[in-house]
Amino acid sequence: MKKVVTRLLALSVLALPAAALADTTVNSTTIFRSFQDNRTGFEKRQYAPITQFLGVDIDKLGDGNLSLHLYGWGRMDLADKSYNEDRVDGALTYGYAQYHFKEANAQASLGRLYVNEGIVSEQVDGLSVRTDLPYGFGISAFGGATVKTDNLPGEETDGKGGGSFGGRLNYRYGGKLELGLSGVYESSAPGINNLQLVREGKFGSHRLVGGDIWFAPHSKVDLMGHTSYNTETRRVAEHSYLVNVRPVQDLVLSGEFNEQNERDLFFSSIFFAGLVERLSDKSRSFGTRASYQLNKVTELTGDYKHYRRDLGQADRFGGDLRLSLLDKALRTGVGYHYLRSSPDFAVVPTSNASGSFHEARGFAMYNAKQYFTALDAIGYFFKEDINGRPRAVELIGSLGYHLTPSLSLSGDLSYGSNPRFVDEVQGLIRLTYNKTFTGKGGTK
Amino acid sequence: MKRCALMFPILALAGFILLVGCAQMKAIPNLPVWHPEEVTSGPVSCSECHEDQQKGTMKPFATFNHTPSFVKNHRFYAASDDRLCASCHKASFCADCHTNRVEMKPSTKYGNRPDREMPHRGDFLTLHKIEGKLDPGSCYRCHGRTNNARCIVCHR
Repeated sequence: MKKVVTRLLALSVLALPAAALADTTVNSTTIFRSFQDNRTGFEKRQYAPITQFLGVDIDKLGDGNLSLHLYGWGRMDLADKSYNEDRVDGALTYGYAQYHFKEANAQASLGRLYVNEGIVSEQVDGLSVRTDLPYGFGISAFGGATVKTDNLPGEETDGKGGGSFGGRLNYRYGGKLELGLSGVYESSAPGINNLQLVREGKFGSHRLVGGDIWFAPHSKVDLMGHTSYNTETRRVAEHSYLVNVRPVQDLVLSGEFNEQNERDLFFSSIFFAGLVERLSDKSRSFGTRASYQLNKVTELTGDYKHYRRDLGQADRFGGDLRLSLLDKALRTGVGYHYLRSSPDFAVVPTSNASGSFHEARGFAMYNAKQYFTALDAIGYFFKEDINGRPRAVELIGSLGYHLTPSLSLSGDLSYGSNPRFVDEVQGLIRLTYNKTFTGKGGTK
Repeated sequence: MKRCALMFPILALAGFILLVGCAQMKAIPNLPVWHPEEVTSGPVSCSECHEDQQKGTMKPFATFNHTPSFVKNHRFYAASDDRLCASCHKASFCADCHTNRVEMKPSTKYGNRPDREMPHRGDFLTLHKIEGKLDPGSCYRCHGRTNNARCIVCHR
């Protein structure tokens, strides 16, 4: 982990000369936390980690079409070790150079990057290219070494093959239709110690193909979604679709459908493959949501979702109200949801257990010229006690001050009471620096 | 061998389209690299400013209005239009939640932004014992093959 932190710092320093010559955005957040764990039966611990998140975007390099993008974090424990065996930890989330060509939305990226194309959602240390093509076609491709994460328990691997490649071919027609064909091929999964997973046909290489669609037969209706197919298990892994209808300008009615064959979707994850009991296990959910922008101030949402697994069934329904006042300086919201589930989803599933609970949330935040403040309360109220406690509540208060337009200092204090802790108090101090040195555009 | 036989016509087709297309690439317009005007804070509606005049193969702007449904289901839009997302959002905006190794809950990092939609608010450590059984596919999207170091501390 020290290596990662060192590399992150080195990359930041190396980027400084280039940053001085180009459009540069720096997003830096330093967070110091303090909390205690004094649960009965556990050794008392005091934690004080300090974490630095750093994002740097350097645009308009070279001929003006080259950019560099870097994001990562590093942490140091000032008291007890907060999480793993190291007192210092860190990760490079992404770091890549990107070249935008002058036509056809063509771009090439090189480095550690995410690829989201159709059914493909991967992270590689490698190359990604894409371009629009004439007649509505488009193409993208990527390839590289897989980004390794922590080894799974009892294993000497994270379960990923050494490299992967894939891409997407798409066709668009007149702002009404998009069809995509995508796939990912990862080199063979490594040998694992849990041979039972392999013998039972629950774990193997990560190889998927699939299709995606976006279809708007009318200006007020659009349908989108994808189906993925696992070429190793030779079965469909997932269907996931969404339809939106906008009968009037500020009303959106949505319907969604998801179906997952768990063995086929989880096949290349040691962690999730171990959770599959039967190869035929299936999850299905469908739901609906209505959101209405009553006026510039008020937004109302209601939603319902039904879950069905071999294990049992559940329904979740509720609504949210959001207000945006004083030219968006004051934002507030309240929400309520109820999950009604069969006993099988309870923490300890017995015949008289329940996994049902009410969820209530309320928040308010105010952003003035000099200071900003926020209050957030969330509570889960269980139908049957969990660990002898009927609820889990958390209250967070935050207060901050803009030292300069780019630099702000804020502090959060949270109180919680839940099935794990009778009282849980945590403090946090946050120093945020967001600065775009030249150029225009959004900075969200 | 069968897989290779299947891959060949796909690659050949892709190569053919690429060659034909290259000849006419200059006629295809670019999206702006970056939104030319500063975007207001909070959820935005593209159609507040953009009229839905059809240009080429672009989808209607109203499709991308940041309604609650859009925010909840943004994965569908990002899977085919992340180039458009990138004209307003830096990649770090996505990385607040989507990461290979998470350091702290996004809602903790942004305790001063309760208006943002963020996963695992409140005592999710207790809740996940129910939610995980309810919809494991939604867990898998983020924690299946990456970002699961925190999960495996207990799930051994």
